[in-house]
Order: sequence, then C-alpha cells, then structure tokens
Amino acid sequence: MLDQAIEALGSYDWGKDYATIKPIEEAVVSTQGDTEARKELEEKLASVLQSDASRAAKDYVCRQLRVIGTAASVPATAKLLFDKEFAHMARYALENNPSPEAGAALRDALPKVEGLLQVGILSSLGDRKDHQSIAAIAALLDSSDANVARASATALGDIQTVEASQALTNCKSTDAAVVSAVIDASLRCAESFLASGNKAAALPIYKKYSTAEQKHVQLAAKRGMLSALGK
Amino acid sequence: MNQSKKQNSTRRDFIKTSAAAASAIAVPYVITSNALGQNGVPPASERIVMGGIGIGNQGSGDQNNFLNRKDVQYVAVSDVRTPIREKGKKKVDDKYGNTDCQAYNDFRELLARTDIDAVHIATPDHWHAIMVIEACRSGKDVYCQKPETRTLREGPLMVEAARRYSRVVSGGSQRVLGDYTELVNKCWGGELGPIKSINVNVGPLSMYCDLPPEKQPAEIDWDLWLGPAPWAPYNSKRCDGNYGTKGGSWRSYSDYSGGGMTDWGAHHFGGATFAIDVRELQPNEVVLHDEKGHKYVELKYPNGLSLTHNKPNTGNLAVTGTPGETREAKPVPAYKGTGGIYGDFIECVKTRERPFRDIESAVNTVIVSHLATIAYQTQRSLKWDAEKQEFTGDDEANRLRDYARREPWQL
Repeated sequence: MLDQAIEALGSYDWGKDYATIKPIEEAVVSTQGDTEARKELEEKLASVLQSDASRAAKDYVCRQLRVIGTAASVPATAKLLFDKEFAHMARYALENNPSPEAGAALRDALPKVEGLLQVGILSSLGDRKDHQSIAAIAALLDSSDANVARASATALGDIQTVEASQALTNCKSTDAAVVSAVIDASLRCAESFLASGNKAAALPIYKKYSTAEQKHVQLAAKRGMLSALGK
Repeated sequence: MNQSKKQNSTRRDFIKTSAAAASAIAVPYVITSNALGQNGVPPASERIVMGGIGIGNQGSGDQNNFLNRKDVQYVAVSDVRTPIREKGKKKVDDKYGNTDCQAYNDFRELLARTDIDAVHIATPDHWHAIMVIEACRSGKDVYCQKPETRTLREGPLMVEAARRYSRVVSGGSQRVLGDYTELVNKCWGGELGPIKSINVNVGPLSMYCDLPPEKQPAEIDWDLWLGPAPWAPYNSKRCDGNYGTKGGSWRSYSDYSGGGMTDWGAHHFGGATFAIDVRELQPNEVVLHDEKGHKYVELKYPNGLSLTHNKPNTGNLAVTGTPGETREAKPVPAYKGTGGIYGDFIECVKTRERPFRDIESAVNTVIVSHLATIAYQTQRSLKWDAEKQEFTGDDEANRLRDYARREPWQL
C-alpha cells in the first residue's frame, strides 16, 4: 500500500486522487519509533524530490519530511533551496529538522541566493537560533534589498546573543521597515539578556531607545531601563 | 535549535514584573482627529481612531460594532479582495457622509499610518500572529478575532510584543463571557463545590487541502491572501470565508486554520477554561485515551484540574464538581465599558487596562486546541513544558509547534 502511494506521487497533482497518497501520512504516524521503517520511508520520499514529480507532489513530500526528516534527506531537500518554485517547501522540511546537516545546508545556501529566497533562508536560520550564521546574517543587514535587510534584523532578534545584538547596532539603513525591525530585534535581545541576568548587555540597548521618537518604543525602553536598574 | 528556549519563562516573568514599572512612566495618549465633538459625539481628543484589516464575514461584523460607536473614528480598511474592500470603505463613508475612509490592499500601508490608534483584525487565522505583532511594533492597540493563533509558537511572541510595547491586545470570542454565564456563575459561586474537570465537545481537525486549480479572478490578490502559507493554486473554496469546517472554506484547511478544533474551540475551550478558572494556566500533560476504539484527549493542569475533549457520553461543557463540599465563591470578571467585548476593548484602550480577553489568556485558550490537535496527529500522549514552550522528550511533536513561513513573511 505504501509503495503504491509513493508511486502515485509520480502523477499526483492538486485536484487528483488524494486518497492514493494518503497512506504516506498514515505511515509517518505508524512508523514512529521504528528506525528502519522510517529510514526506508525517508529514502523513498527524498527520491521523489529528485524526480520530475509535480510541484504538488513535492509540496506533499516536504510536509512529511517536516516531521520525519533527518540528515539523510537533507541533500535532496537542500537542492530545492535554489529553486523559486520549491524553496519555501524545502525550508518547510528543513527548518525543524534538528540535524546539524540541515543547519549547514541553510548556511551554505544563504550567500548563493538573493531576494526572496535569501529572505526565506534568513528567516529559517533565525527560527533555528543558528549561532553559527550570525556573521553571515549580519553581513546582510545593510543589503540594498530592504526585504533582506529586514529579515536579517529579525533573524538576529531571534538568535538573541550578545554578538547578534552588537551586529544590530551597526545597521545603517534608514528604511522605515528595516529600522523598525532593528529596534524590535534589539529590544528582544535586551529582554533576553535581562532574563538571563546580563543587565550590562541590556542597559545600553534600553538607553539608546529611551529617547526614541516613537512613544511606544520609548516606553518599552524606559520600562526596560527601570527593570535593569532594579526599580 | 542550537539554543535552549528555557529563557522564555524568565522573559515572560520580566514582562509581567516590569508592567508595574511601566505605569510609573507617563506617556501621553495621543488621538489625532480634527473633527469636533457634537450631538453626543465625544470630541476628537476622546475618540479612538481605528482601522480594520480583513473585513469580510466576521470582519464586517466587527467593523459594524466599532464603526457604530460614538467614541470611535473609523478611518481605514484593508482587505485583499477588491469588492469587499470597496464595500467596507463605502460603509464607512456612508456613515460619516464623506469619502475620507482609505482602502488598502496591503495591511502594512494601514499599519504605517501614525494617526491610527487601534486596529481590528479578522483575516484567516494564518495571518493573525504576523499582523498582531506588526501592529504592536507600529504602536497600535489590537482587537484580533479568534482563534488568535495558528501554531503554538505564535502565541508567546504575540504576548511578548503586546507587553513590550504596552499595547492593549484583545482576543475575540464574545461567547466566552456571553454564552456560558449560568455555568460560570455556578462554578465561580461555589455551587458545584471544588471543580475536578470539564468536558468540551468540538471539532473537526483541519485537513490537507487538495483542491484543484481554478481560474484566478482579478479581484483577489492571491499571493497576499496566501501570505505566509505554502503557495497553492487559487480555488474559491480554499479562500471562502464561510463558517464551515468540512471542506468548503479556509476554516477547513490546515494551512490556514485549525478547523473546528480552534474555530469553535476558541469559544468552547474559552468558556471551559473560564468556568473552571484556568485561563492563566496552560496544561502540562495531554493524555490520549482509547475507550473501545474511541480516542479522546484529557488535558491536565498543574493545579490538578482536567479538561477532556470529546469524552464519550459526556456533554459539552459538562462539569464534574464535588457535591456536598464547599468552595469559596469568587466574583466573576466582567467586561469594562459598554458594548460587550468591543466596548471592553475600547474602554481598555482609553484606560490602558487589560481587556477581558487579554491576549495572554486568549493564547492560553487556543493552546489547548493546539495541544489536543498534536496529540491526535501524533496519536500519543504528550508532556507539555509551559515554561520552555516545548514537549518534553518528543522531538517529533516539537516539530509541529510551528512551520516555516513563506517568504518574505516572518513573525
């Protein structure tokens, strides 16, 4: 039944007979804890990504790999990061894949793509809190593409290390959306520092924004300052 | 993945404890409108300037409620569907007898306006978190329809954004306080004795959407409708805003909604968690029971109470108390201001208090739906660490806490 379902993926498309492929997601559940069965299932799914299967079929496969993907399916999935049509679903599979190989694939792809594909990879690296990519992400803070710069700032705000926070202070963009993202990311870093007891790292951020033009930013910063000062 | 998320709890603690400090800082509340008050209408300085994002079925009802308030000046609408956007603008213009209401396809243009104090949001659920967080970053207060989140990860980020910028953020569901009054009064009044458990019957779960492509009409910005969700071909049922959850609406499909489990779940679980007074808590365990082939879940709270979902032969909102034992009565919370949940939100915008459906308790409600859903999806019992916001010892369940958003969208 499962083999037939995998085969059916070869001709599957939106609006075609979904029932023929549904055994695949049932197998995702039933093979939990069965290492060998999972390995076999993952191999078969990865092979579909390397085939001429439709966008719908590869979309479906990435949804399953989101749950069961390991290092084994990373090479096949990572190839799709460079394809506009499939890049998002490749990240859909890779972003929550805990293997180091998944993080490495995203880091490797980051400088090789541009525009929206780069935005997507920045987003996934941030969501993974990928410390190893901080320098590469920071290098894109002043990208002429505002979407990329904004995504870079948000990713650094997700990672929340002192290094990430320091990088945010170097952003020179005057684009309103980028500036807003940098402020929010910086404040998120400061909250994280405060929560971990690193008041020395939090305080300069709060001081910087305590005179911000926007009242709600000023309020956030002043609140943070009071907390950092123990008041 | 490289770093533990254990800091989440302490960050929330920081946000909570520093709220008191926030009240010590005087920040002027500015309302900008040039209209003068007359005939019972408050002057501009006392009116809340509002806009609406997603003004179709439910959003249209929300719009009516805010538009018809004398203490609201409604100035802008945003919707990716041209006819709905134009209808929403006309409604406002007709009300005020002018053509001042601005209509936007892209919500970011509405949020960029500095003259708008507050927004209401009633888009499909997969958009809520992004829009609420962006609104908070833009200094807006927010009324967001239920279910407020599509994933487990979204909720804490929305709460953090609201607290960071001291925004008033209310969830939706007028039913939580409106539909279960008798039950709530019994529970809070001590009539049932100490409460042990409550049951909720609701469903179904949302599903994968395999609808075929249809010709895309020019009147919808399809890419913006999909937003952070995976790309998919246009189909009228995929984006239909009707309230069904069995295939003819976006509420049926997992890329956009949690189905009946989160849609009506927001009402029923909201009422249940209110009745047994666990709105400030999250369950720490989800037990998948199998009773003669009928699977149902039990969500256990750290204080010993439990909430079952679809327990066999058990009514919706059926409470198990302790007859004969006494429980100290507590005053039941109520809306502030006038005009139900909408008036509650507006009153809180004015006073900076927390609304009845404050985003944190709203998130705690929808988390119940998400936890139950993931237990059904994985077909196993789960331990939930509310402090770390992760399942304990279950990597696969943790993968279901969130999804990669389609570029350029981020939380």
